[in-house]
Amino acid sequence: MIELKNIKKIYELGKNNIVTALDNINLNITEGELVILKGVSGSGKSSILSLIAALSKPSSGEVLVDTERVSKLPDNFASDFRRDKIGFIFQKYNLIGTMSVKENIILPLVPMNLDEEEIENKLQRVLNMFHIGHKKDQLVRNLSGGEQQRVAIARASINNPKIILADEPTANLDEKLSLHFIDIIKELKSEGKSIIIATHDPLFFGLDIVDREIEIHKGKVF
Amino acid sequence: MKNRLKKFGVNVYIMEYAINSLLRQKYKSLFITIVLTALIFLLASIFFITNSIKYELQSTVDSLPEIIVQKIKAGRHYDIDTNDIDNILEISGVSSAVARVWGYYYFENAGVNFTIVGIDEFEQQYKNTLARIAETLDFSNTSSMVLGAGVKKSMNKSYYKEYFNFIKPDGTLKRVYISGVFHGDTELESNDMIVMSKSSAREIFDMDESKATDIVVKVANVDEIQTVASKIKFLYPESRIITKNDLKISYQNIFDYKSGVFLALFVVSLFTFFIIIYDKASGLSSEEKREIGILKAIGWRVDDVLKEKFYEGFIISLFAYLLGIVLALAFVYIFKAPLLQNIFTGYSQLKTSFELPFVLDIQTLALIFFLTIPIYIAATIIPSWRSSTLEADEVIK
Repeated sequence: MIELKNIKKIYELGKNNIVTALDNINLNITEGELVILKGVSGSGKSSILSLIAALSKPSSGEVLVDTERVSKLPDNFASDFRRDKIGFIFQKYNLIGTMSVKENIILPLVPMNLDEEEIENKLQRVLNMFHIGHKKDQLVRNLSGGEQQRVAIARASINNPKIILADEPTANLDEKLSLHFIDIIKELKSEGKSIIIATHDPLFFGLDIVDREIEIHKGKVF
Repeated sequence: MKNRLKKFGVNVYIMEYAINSLLRQKYKSLFITIVLTALIFLLASIFFITNSIKYELQSTVDSLPEIIVQKIKAGRHYDIDTNDIDNILEISGVSSAVARVWGYYYFENAGVNFTIVGIDEFEQQYKNTLARIAETLDFSNTSSMVLGAGVKKSMNKSYYKEYFNFIKPDGTLKRVYISGVFHGDTELESNDMIVMSKSSAREIFDMDESKATDIVVKVANVDEIQTVASKIKFLYPESRIITKNDLKISYQNIFDYKSGVFLALFVVSLFTFFIIIYDKASGLSSEEKREIGILKAIGWRVDDVLKEKFYEGFIISLFAYLLGIVLALAFVYIFKAPLLQNIFTGYSQLKTSFELPFVLDIQTLALIFFLTIPIYIAATIIPSWRSSTLEADEVIK
């Protein structure tokens, strides 16, 4: 389902300052699989997620999702691909703090110009699923870290995407909330979604729901 | 409503997002609205005043006589002999020649000069306004006059409601009763003209019956004005001949001078506008960039982001435009453009109050619209376009 072929990602940070974030990465992730990308900070885990979500392009190599070559997609098609197939949970949640929970969650639906009823149905589904219905009219900036994360997951799931990508999802959470996040992931996996989590949190290692753990070190797969 | 707009391809949710976005940044939005409104108000006021002045001067020029003959002695204007009319009428091409009796009278109470114009019952009037007044003025009563609406107002303030005592050059008084009020073709006429019989005017100016202030000549064919003027000059070499064209040029000079001042104001306001635009176009705040990055990351296309930014710019600039225009209309035509109008009328403290005629044309409104709104929208969209075409990953970081 997701295939990374000979991926190389180079960042040019300035003159004579070239960083190779990913070096010859080859990866295959099948439908419904839960994969943990583990490694220290700066190992290249987040870069792999960005490439799969078509948020950035590889310097060389290809990323294929459902045989579609997403690494070559023009900008607008990449946006369509993200909207339809990807739910991305960012490390810092990337919510808009001055907007309400409801407004943040339905943001991916705004350009789709759907009927109000359809939007309301989708919203209710994720509000119930992630237990944040009672907070829907509150401003996101007034929520706790755990609540903000649930809003971020709800936003990532509003379009019912086939692929969930999570970048260091428990980095800002205590153990109790991290365990709660794992429960949410279990639920998403039970729905048949492919899930890739980039993390260095030991809580995820050796979990029975995890299908595969991939070690990334200095931009290479071990 | 939403469904109806959807039928026209309008995404109401993006529009809603734009409105919410403006409300979320309420202080910034308010500041931009105030500055834009102030600039549009200033631009519109300048245009409205210049348009009104232009209209007023054009109307004045249109009502001017084709040729004026004045007697000059030692370079100064003297009373002219009314017998000269017969000689002028003999010149071929002249359709009429009328002796005018007019002059200024200083109205001390208000500190302004009024123009007294004398007319005769059966003579051909050289102005439409005078022809209308001649029909109403009681010529049998040598002690009556008709006042311009502005003059009446000034006199009322000094409690001269029925008559006024003019002080003659010999120090004696002439009482003239107010028999009516007129509205001239131009505001300038209404605001400083007093019309009475020629004999009353002559009495006030201490002018002999055989004399007049000047002679106005009408020419049947406008192409012959210059030829007729040359013939009159040949007949009376000591006289000064002023054609309609000469007056047009002198009025135009005054207007050009005044509009030059307004042009300076216009340039200053545009300059300020462009500084704001430059500031806005030169970049987005890190928070704004991050928001665009988030929208891209969750599936918004570049054109969705630009649409949203377009709505933001359009809403704010259209609101500022409408508010600025309404305020300018009120400022110029209801409050008589205080301060700005002084730039126009300030050259003569002795002029009576001048009211700007209401002139509103689509071209002016369109010009202000196109000078401000598209530029502001472009300044909103361009930096957003720059950010939205970058890799979303890069913008969020």
